[in-house]
Amino acid sequence: MNEILLTIIEVIMMPIVAFIVGLFMVLMMRKLAARLQRRIGPPLFQPLYDIIKLYGKQTQISHGLIHDIGIIMAVGGYVAAEALLPVPGMDGIAAKGGLVTLAYLTMVPSLGLALGVGQCANPNGSIGISRALTSMLAYDIPFIIVVFGVAYHFSSTNLVSIIATQQAGGISTWGISEMPVLALAGLFALHASLGKQPFEIYIAPAEIATGPMVEMGGKFLGGLFVMQSFQLYTASVLYVSLFLGGGENWITFLLKCFAVLAIPIIIAYLFPRYRTDDLVRLVWKWPVMLALIGVAFVMN
Amino acid sequence: MTTLDTLLLFSLLTVLVSGLGVRLKMIGWVSAIMFAAQFVALLFMGGLGYGGSAIESSVSLTILNQPLSWRFDSLSWFFALITIGSALASSIFAAGIWAKKFHKHDGKPGLLQFAIALNVFTMLLLLASGDLLSLFVGWELVSWASLLLMVMAGGSSSQWGLRYIVYATAGAMAVLAGIGLIYHLTGSFSYADLANTAATFSSTNIVILSLLFIAGFGVKMGLLPFHLWQAGAYAEAPGPGSAFLGAISSRMGLYAMLVVVIQLIGLARLIAIEIPFSFLSLRDMLMWVAAFTIIFPTFTALRQNDARHLLAWHGIGQGGYMMMGILVLNPLGSAGGLLHVFNYASNQAALFLAISAVVYRTHTADLNRLGGLVTRMPLTFVVLLVGIIGLAGIPPMNGFVSKWLIYRSLIVEGMPLLFVATVIGTLGTILSVYKLIHNTFLGQLRLEHEHIREVPWSMLAPMLVLASVVFMTGFMPGLVLDWVVSAQAALGIPQLAHTLGGVESATGNLDMIWITLVLFGGFGVGALLFYSGNKAKRVHQLDNYAGGHFLTADDRYHYSNNFYAGLMHHIGSWYRGTFKWLESSIISIVSLLSGSTQRLFHSFHPALFLLIAATLSLYFFVG
Repeated sequence: MNEILLTIIEVIMMPIVAFIVGLFMVLMMRKLAARLQRRIGPPLFQPLYDIIKLYGKQTQISHGLIHDIGIIMAVGGYVAAEALLPVPGMDGIAAKGGLVTLAYLTMVPSLGLALGVGQCANPNGSIGISRALTSMLAYDIPFIIVVFGVAYHFSSTNLVSIIATQQAGGISTWGISEMPVLALAGLFALHASLGKQPFEIYIAPAEIATGPMVEMGGKFLGGLFVMQSFQLYTASVLYVSLFLGGGENWITFLLKCFAVLAIPIIIAYLFPRYRTDDLVRLVWKWPVMLALIGVAFVMN
Repeated sequence: MTTLDTLLLFSLLTVLVSGLGVRLKMIGWVSAIMFAAQFVALLFMGGLGYGGSAIESSVSLTILNQPLSWRFDSLSWFFALITIGSALASSIFAAGIWAKKFHKHDGKPGLLQFAIALNVFTMLLLLASGDLLSLFVGWELVSWASLLLMVMAGGSSSQWGLRYIVYATAGAMAVLAGIGLIYHLTGSFSYADLANTAATFSSTNIVILSLLFIAGFGVKMGLLPFHLWQAGAYAEAPGPGSAFLGAISSRMGLYAMLVVVIQLIGLARLIAIEIPFSFLSLRDMLMWVAAFTIIFPTFTALRQNDARHLLAWHGIGQGGYMMMGILVLNPLGSAGGLLHVFNYASNQAALFLAISAVVYRTHTADLNRLGGLVTRMPLTFVVLLVGIIGLAGIPPMNGFVSKWLIYRSLIVEGMPLLFVATVIGTLGTILSVYKLIHNTFLGQLRLEHEHIREVPWSMLAPMLVLASVVFMTGFMPGLVLDWVVSAQAALGIPQLAHTLGGVESATGNLDMIWITLVLFGGFGVGALLFYSGNKAKRVHQLDNYAGGHFLTADDRYHYSNNFYAGLMHHIGSWYRGTFKWLESSIISIVSLLSGSTQRLFHSFHPALFLLIAATLSLYFFVG
């Protein structure tokens, strides 16, 4: 009974932590972008102010119940996914799901968003979703090869034991030292999954007027903002857990997460955007090739 | 009289009653009640689902000194449960108001019920077969019974039916040849003799046998490259008929393959056989066939513009998952494959019925002529949503659990490329089913659909029950895994250790109860956040603008055609229709041969006779 209570407390705590860290990740993203563009960038609490502002706006347009539910699913799916991502001191239900479940659970928010956008009946939104799903088809293939390689290497899909193995053996047993090629492919896939430049085909403000966000205002946009902070957190924590030995304590853990995230963000703000078909070709060629080579190394 | 006899008797009675009362108005409900009776009779055999021993039928025949017998084991029971369940749902759906409209459009609702009943009866006979001879009899009966269901809509469906029967006949010939070879080797048709002597067969015989049986049974399963008949044949049947065919019909091929190849011959023999000049064993080659059966039909489905064809193509692809899981031959994989039979059937039946409901109201399944129906038919939307989440294999629906088991088994066995192939299939499915729900229920509502209403309860009830099965067996997969494990035991393959929530193992657990609860907790948090924001104003569905100017409702701007343009730009050229080309070249060769023989006969036979007569007379006179 005590164990169940503890799990429930962890399941509640983990999304809260994720949200706070995620907000700082959004802040880091905007700061880095600003510095690269020789601006100063927003103040410390700007992401939080933005969310409060969006939720409190006077004009809130809903295109129907599915529009609302879509946003709820987009946020709620990530809230649930965080309970599957172990952090220092808290495992939540990570042992009950594992890597494959997490990979598929993170599709729930995307599906929710897709449903919500569909209800808005804006062709730009629908085109955005079509592009977003296409890019998911592109980056999930190298990502899933990476998942296979890691799971095979550690002979487990349990994130808790994957992290424990790495921490027990020290840096030389970290995923990145034992599987550098896979780690590189994983970073590539992580970047594409964030939907930042040069892979932001489904936002594409100049072409399809920000795609999925086109009919989103007020708390709808606020929900997407929350979703984004969770998304940045999930992607970086997952990467750290697979390749960088997870977190021994909160300081090293957060350092690793922010460092991992900084790489795609810096690249993102230095590059222009690809076309959909270019993205598919690029992601199916290089990270898939890298990942397959990585798996070949792992299985030898 | 055993419980199996009762079940078969009920099933036969259903056939007779629906056959005799084919013109009666009430026949729909009568048949539905009789399907329910069959279901109850099946539940009386419920012990089979929990490891009970096989039930024999007291009926047996002897033909030409060869005994024919029937029995039910856990595997048969599991498949029969799905068969009768989907028949019951389809029958109720077709019994009420749907039948009236079907009748008005020159359909024969009584004939539909009769066709379903006949299919169920023949399928039960096949599932109950106790030797190779009764298996073949059942196989033939199933093939012809499903033809009735396929062609009864008339029109283009008879074309598809014709195509099906050519394939089915070829498949049956392969099965017959296989059974003949077994008789030659063992001298009997009994399962036990085959199982006992299979170890002594030479490798060549094993190769020939497994290729004959897998090709023969594979035709029904729509295994590549024998898949071209299936989508059209299933999709063009009347709505509930499609649901029944799509849910279970082609799984009969899987059942027969399980019995003959896995249970009797044994997969170990297939693993031991190496294919020359490759690194693959015979089993690996079949797994690749399964992988391609997953990928190609799924991406063909992505291109379909008719909702029913889209679903039917997915049916072929999902069959590949079942085959893949079973061929992995570890407890995880085979459990995943068998569980997917159940999960997929519940998804597909729910989806086909939902699409039939849409067709009932809008008279079209064309994905470019629908849109925005979610406000008109909200419950149908919910059913379709649950169904597509299940079909795509996303938590928390049941399709995820069976696919998870298959993924895990491929990871455990260290098969990266096959694993990636299964995931590519899943991703393709996600893209395709989103297109399905977007083009029908989301986006712009067409003016002519402004006043349509939700379908009546006689149609909604079976759909909602199916949707709740999809959810509940995803929430508590252990309910179905109990039956699956009994089926594994009946097949004589290793059994999966499972819990109510999924799987408990040292290298990776799955507990769907926790995951589902946490997911819904997450949705609760999402809702709390959302409704804590300022209150939103709901605008009317037809109140839209784009690019700064207002659009009236009769401007068509629903983004539906060529939905994945960017992807198609890249992979469009891969759709070369190689299999269609192969099929048509075989047809051409056959027609060329037959044509030239005919020509030869027509142009030469007078001369030929003259020549023969001349030669003979010359021989007579000179000799």
